[in-house]
Amino acid sequence: MLEEPYRWIEAVRNRREYLEEQLSSGSPVVALPYQDGILMATVGGGTSKLYEVYDQIAFGGLGHPTDLEKLRTAVLELAHVEGFNRSPADVNLQRLIKFGIAPVMKQAFEEILHAPFISKLLFVELTHPSGQPLFVKLDYDGLFEENGKFGILAPTEEIEKKMIAYLRSQEETRTLSLKPVLQIALRTWAVSLHPVPPEGAEDVLPVSSEIDRLLKEKLDHFTPEIALLDKTIPGTSKFKALLQDEIQPRIREWLR
Amino acid sequence: MNNGDFWTLLKKSGYQFGSTLNMNSIPGATAPFPVTHGTTILAFKYQGGVLVAGDRRATAGTTVMYDRTDKVIDIDRHSVMAIAGVPATAFEIARIMEHTFKYFRRSQLQELSLDGKVRALSRLLKENIPMAIQGIGAVAPIYAAYDLSKKEGKIFFYDILGAEFEGVEFAVSGSGSPAVRGILHYENRWGPQPLSRVSEESAIVLTIRLLETASEFDSATGGVNIEAGLYPLIKLVTATGTREISLDVLENLFSRNIKSNPIRS
Repeated sequence: MLEEPYRWIEAVRNRREYLEEQLSSGSPVVALPYQDGILMATVGGGTSKLYEVYDQIAFGGLGHPTDLEKLRTAVLELAHVEGFNRSPADVNLQRLIKFGIAPVMKQAFEEILHAPFISKLLFVELTHPSGQPLFVKLDYDGLFEENGKFGILAPTEEIEKKMIAYLRSQEETRTLSLKPVLQIALRTWAVSLHPVPPEGAEDVLPVSSEIDRLLKEKLDHFTPEIALLDKTIPGTSKFKALLQDEIQPRIREWLR
Repeated sequence: MNNGDFWTLLKKSGYQFGSTLNMNSIPGATAPFPVTHGTTILAFKYQGGVLVAGDRRATAGTTVMYDRTDKVIDIDRHSVMAIAGVPATAFEIARIMEHTFKYFRRSQLQELSLDGKVRALSRLLKENIPMAIQGIGAVAPIYAAYDLSKKEGKIFFYDILGAEFEGVEFAVSGSGSPAVRGILHYENRWGPQPLSRVSEESAIVLTIRLLETASEFDSATGGVNIEAGLYPLIKLVTATGTREISLDVLENLFSRNIKSNPIRS
């Protein structure tokens, strides 16, 4: 098969369709900067989707849980061996992605006789060497995209566009405190629940009350998951997963 | 399968710790040579958790190599290790410990138990026995942690072969430790109150006095040098995490509390 380019391209195309379909029902992940660092948010059925990678690096993912675990282990080992052999200061997101995990995902995707990773990942770094936060989205085919302002990981391109459009309609989050940023993040997540209009029809963003209604309905059955990279935490590790006791009071006030 | 063992991961990637080097097998090398080293480290339970401290002097023989050594090293958010012995090995053990605990937490999505942490240090010391018995890599550390499940501070000390002991009230190590061990015992038993009831400020004042005393009797232990801004390194291990006492606080407490009695009038 491999000596016939057309069949290889066709196989890759089929694989892409398969992966898009597999990922289409995943729960999005939103990452936003705030005054003390970076907030990551998602809503799920109880299994954690937001993970600590290294002192200032975390990630969220959607896809097959086993594949997420494999990738998580791979990136953890890379980061820790690197941080031990050199210095924690030498572990940064760009190097982990470009020389570590992205080539692994690309290779798995293109080796059509082996299974690909059914996963998309969103990495965040509290302080990129430039001094600013960094958000990197990594697709199942190894394609990565950097962003200095926010991170959105959505199951489909349409949903992603809609979430980004909503986020852009909100105020700049960089200087906000935790509570308003949590609100914006969860509302951005809830925009993904708004139905995609039929082909040809204009896609209009839902109003706030509609977004809150969608979110509330979802939270009746699913759990919000929030993780922070908080630069005010003493010591080298800045990751903190918020407990439900810490999340619920912050939501209850505005989501009645 | 990933069991969160960073030590095994390191070995897989080619790292070696605790060489089995035998000096007698090296042409031209003399028999095991004595490398003298000294220090004073101590830990005791006070009202808020555990106080861990060390002097700042590093020596080689009779030479003072360095006067600003950090002998109390943060291992994770709720534990520190104070080092006595050969610095090269001690710092490496601390580095392995720090990465091991972080790696376990991140890969297993839960903290390593305190028992597991205590055993990890013991295991590293055991792996270092070949170096220790040749007299060139001995380390006898103190490990102090706040046990969040039991809501109390804990102190462990080790011999150079890796045996672990729990210091119920306090632990000391290093060449200057005999001088302070007796004082700690006396204070705990016959002082105004047991060490575990002493306030944070009183605990810090007592520590500076203890290390000053140790430096009086042990040339390898550095004392306070006001002109150079040199004070012992003191860290507190509490329910909220580890915290280093700042130079400002040490200077302030020293000037207010550490005054000798007039010996000659």
